[in-house]
Amino acid sequence: MAVRNYIPETLEEALELRRDEHAIPLAGGTDIMVQHREGIGIAPDVGKPVMIISNLAELKGIRRRDDGFVEIRALETPASIASSDIVPWHVRQAAARMGAIALRNMATIGGNIGNASPKGDLPQPLILLDAEVVVASVGSERRMLLDEFILGSKKTALRDDEIITSVLIPEKEFTHLFYRKIGTRRANAISKLSLSAAAVIRDGIIEDFRASSGAAGPKVIRSREAESLLTKRQVSEIPDIADDFIAAWDRAISPHAMPRYRRNTTSRMLLHFLEALQDETLTGIIG
Amino acid sequence: MRDKVVFHVNGERVEFIGNPMTRLIDVLRDDLGLTGVKEGCGEGECGACSVIKDGKLVTSCIMPVGSADGSEILTIEGIRDTPKGICITEAFRDGGAVQCGFCIPGMVMAAYALLEENHHPTEEDIRMAISGNICRCTGYDLIVKSVQLAAERGGRLWQ
Amino acid sequence: MSATRIDDRIVRVDAMEKARGEAEYVCDIRFPGMVYGTLVRSTVARGKILSIDVPALPEGYSFITADDIPAEGRNELWMIAKDWRCFASGDVRYVGETIGILCGPDRGMLSYLKKHIAISYEEETPAVTIDEALALKGGPIAGEDNIMCSLYCEKGPKMDDVFRQADSIFEETLETGFQEHVHLETNSAIVRQEDGRFTFYISAQCPFYVRKSVSGLLGLRPEDIVVKQTTTGGAFGGKEHFPDVLAGPLLVACNKIHKPIKMVFDREEDMLYSVKRHPSKVVFRTALDKEGGILGIDGKIYYNCGAYLSASYVVLQRGVFHANGVYDFPATHLEGYGVATNTFPSDAFRGFGAPQTLFAIEMHLDHIARKFGYDPAEYKARYFLRKGGETVTNGHIVEDVKLPEMLEQIATASDYYRKAKEYGIGSGRGIGISFYNHGGAFTGNGEQAIIKAHARLVKEGSRVRIEVGSTEMGQGFQTTLRKIAANALGISISQIDYPNPDTSRVPDSGPTAASRSTMVVGKIVEDCAREMKERWDEGDFSVEKEYVHPEGHPWDQDTFRGDAYLGYGWGACIVEVEVDRLTNEVRTVGIWSSHDIGKAIDELVVHGQVNGGIIQSLGYASMEKMENRDGRFRQSSMSDYVVPTSMDFPSQEWFLVDNPYQWGPQGAKGMGELVFNGADAAYVDAVERALGVTVVKIPIPPEDIEEAIENAR
Repeated sequence: MAVRNYIPETLEEALELRRDEHAIPLAGGTDIMVQHREGIGIAPDVGKPVMIISNLAELKGIRRRDDGFVEIRALETPASIASSDIVPWHVRQAAARMGAIALRNMATIGGNIGNASPKGDLPQPLILLDAEVVVASVGSERRMLLDEFILGSKKTALRDDEIITSVLIPEKEFTHLFYRKIGTRRANAISKLSLSAAAVIRDGIIEDFRASSGAAGPKVIRSREAESLLTKRQVSEIPDIADDFIAAWDRAISPHAMPRYRRNTTSRMLLHFLEALQDETLTGIIG
Repeated sequence: MRDKVVFHVNGERVEFIGNPMTRLIDVLRDDLGLTGVKEGCGEGECGACSVIKDGKLVTSCIMPVGSADGSEILTIEGIRDTPKGICITEAFRDGGAVQCGFCIPGMVMAAYALLEENHHPTEEDIRMAISGNICRCTGYDLIVKSVQLAAERGGRLWQ
Repeated sequence: MSATRIDDRIVRVDAMEKARGEAEYVCDIRFPGMVYGTLVRSTVARGKILSIDVPALPEGYSFITADDIPAEGRNELWMIAKDWRCFASGDVRYVGETIGILCGPDRGMLSYLKKHIAISYEEETPAVTIDEALALKGGPIAGEDNIMCSLYCEKGPKMDDVFRQADSIFEETLETGFQEHVHLETNSAIVRQEDGRFTFYISAQCPFYVRKSVSGLLGLRPEDIVVKQTTTGGAFGGKEHFPDVLAGPLLVACNKIHKPIKMVFDREEDMLYSVKRHPSKVVFRTALDKEGGILGIDGKIYYNCGAYLSASYVVLQRGVFHANGVYDFPATHLEGYGVATNTFPSDAFRGFGAPQTLFAIEMHLDHIARKFGYDPAEYKARYFLRKGGETVTNGHIVEDVKLPEMLEQIATASDYYRKAKEYGIGSGRGIGISFYNHGGAFTGNGEQAIIKAHARLVKEGSRVRIEVGSTEMGQGFQTTLRKIAANALGISISQIDYPNPDTSRVPDSGPTAASRSTMVVGKIVEDCAREMKERWDEGDFSVEKEYVHPEGHPWDQDTFRGDAYLGYGWGACIVEVEVDRLTNEVRTVGIWSSHDIGKAIDELVVHGQVNGGIIQSLGYASMEKMENRDGRFRQSSMSDYVVPTSMDFPSQEWFLVDNPYQWGPQGAKGMGELVFNGADAAYVDAVERALGVTVVKIPIPPEDIEEAIENAR
């Protein structure tokens, strides 16, 4: 019962607390306060010291860097991400569909990544885009692919002296983009399944093809094996490759509950996207 | 390191000394007696506890008081006697938005946050703005109409 | 002040204090010296209690169990039956059964202590579903066959003869799931001693039920207990009998510790450990002629009652009596069985047993119509009950039935016939239709034989106070009843007071349930008001009257023959959907309804009820999935048991038909439940048509639609 909780005033203080007490960072609180809720009139007890970093100005901001990345600092909310022109489309889509307005005003990108829930909304498009995460500890910083940072359901590579400070998204133009979240209802919903897909098609050649599945396994799933079946191939070859691609993707995902629905729906959405790639009249956002 | 939480609630300065993980809703209801803030779910899903923090709608049941440090919090008690608050609550009354009433203070806060940002919301805008506020009684139609009514009646109030 | 007339457009009397956050719900009330209570519950569905180890309790904390019931008391909650125990003792029969109540001043400490109470069990195999219970899994729970209650009724020629003449037989099983009320205000109550009497402040529909139910725990009479209803934040049946489950332990505890005790469920408790709508399974066997015409229907109706009977027998009766829908079939034989399982007891929920069988008969007729190539609306309209038509209990419909007119209204408004043809089957777009009714007030002669409702008006100067036991729970009764009284008195509604009922001050008007308040209590108040108006100049006085049962409604409660209801509300609903073929997500694009509620006392109140009832029904059909595994509900929060948001359904077009009811105030009948009873079937019909699938079970979230599509292959 009697652990101490903190409100650091600077990132430096927070990093020291993290090093000295391994205090759990609480950003928006939308996961921690729910997971550890005790009921009416009772403060949630995490069992370890918590540091409330919600108001650290150093961890706020969204900017386009000159090295080809968009940087989103860890405390940016889905609301601000969804309304930012410089954030890539897939990420904005996912941010705009997270929870409802109040949650989008409170949750943070750092928290959504750090929580590493298979149903989390933001990791899925970020992994599609090969986003990287920057974590800091006293006196040092690490940078790695988000896909490698998230190890599994609720597991990350974050060390107990580190704090997520920002997310870096490589800027890339796609000719075809697709995003769908299937929630438990039309708004204010937890994801039952989500899928992003993107492609670059030039002169009939698939220069880039990628997809990512959310809530279809312990972590976001990208299958480089499946993607490689399509990249550098002719668009006209898609009909011959489609079945193998869908089968490969289906092998890659491992939905626990509702397996038939999640598998079939993922396959249908991917096929839909592949069909759109073959239709010369369709480019941009595929509905 | 902050050893206390200092913030403003409905314009009044509040100093909180204690566990910063204390839920904001408990501080508002139990310590400050602001019982217009209702607890419907305790997990940020139903919106009954909605308050406005620095102009943004938030759910006070999943916000630790520590996160409110330095902020301006508005609750139903802080808006209900202002021209805008009167405009919304009267529109809710006249438009038939209120049944059991438990969700309604939170719903009023959601409407307030919307109208502050969007003076001429469409039906779709309103439905989106209150989609985090669960009402089990009304089926929402009359709430949506009441928010429209508040927008129309308020006119310049919202400019 | 001008007199308020029934057709005046007025606003709800309670709207402003609620919108301003000033209305006081139980959670907002505090008393000096008050402590908190929390229930300690069974964690297994079935088993013997071997031991209960309670840690040393700090000063000011106590743990109260069945052992604290005094010698003159009995460990039972008297609902309709008396089988539900206040505290489990010796054994437990469902997960969440109350074993004790822990009381003390600090909620954090209570939570800590609760986690450290160790209860060990000898676990037994629970039966959770209707099928498991009928197969006597784990041995019988109730009686020898797990049938807690049953009934049958028949109409027309004998079934054997009917089926002998059939050209074909259409048989199917239709099922519905649990539904949770999700009233936004969770269950809550405070008990304390006032002037030597135990007094409750409680969120409840039926304050007189509470005192009757719990007084026996201390060997007291009901009138020894005072129940004050507080502003109630939604109920929907969930606060009809269930408040007794809070009030019982609170009373025993208060008797022991003599302090005010407050108990407010958090949402997780309210989800996991409160009553639900009865899951149902209806097996229809229908004898058809060559053209698909119905010769007779044989129905077997099973309701999952959970571990105690509570109100289930009455729920089941209503289910059976609504199993013919709004139709006059030549022959019916209906059997109903209430099945005991090791789940949390099922209980009242808006519709009270009718929605399950209405859903079943609507889908059944849709499926027969589609098989024989008829439009469901046209096919169903052939069988509409009419005035004088015979009900399944050999009673008669005594009112004009306006269904043809209602069908016309919504078919025109929605362009139903064109869309039904154009969309066809399997196009991804669908339009569906349903018809339904709801018998007003208590079944049979219950109003006359059991309830004998009273109401009183008290005149003090120019003001009139309504004294009834009926409650406002969001449905608008504070406004409706005041308006009825003002209209009859010829005074302004602002001259009328109607405080929340306090059982020590008001007469028992019966429960606020069964869509009876406007129709029955409203009528008594109107009669009181008429007399008061005539005697207006007599100074200060009061008028109290008892319910008078209309003549000419024979009913035999032993054989279930006669007029099960004095009158019915009627409804028709059309729902239009588009289904996303990639994801099976259903988007509802239109909702049209028409209802016959006799006469709307207040149109704005009725509008809200119609909208809300229909959305609750659409939630029931589409997304509200409550599963139970091994006796444990799997959905424990509002994020995994989802109810509709403002984004899920579009705004509704709605109609009323005027059909004044002879015995209601100003011609009004009941409507609170009616509006829940049918949109579900219209929605499922629309989804079936859009996808060319057959659905026999609700709810149907996208993953279950996937199954239906696979099954259709």
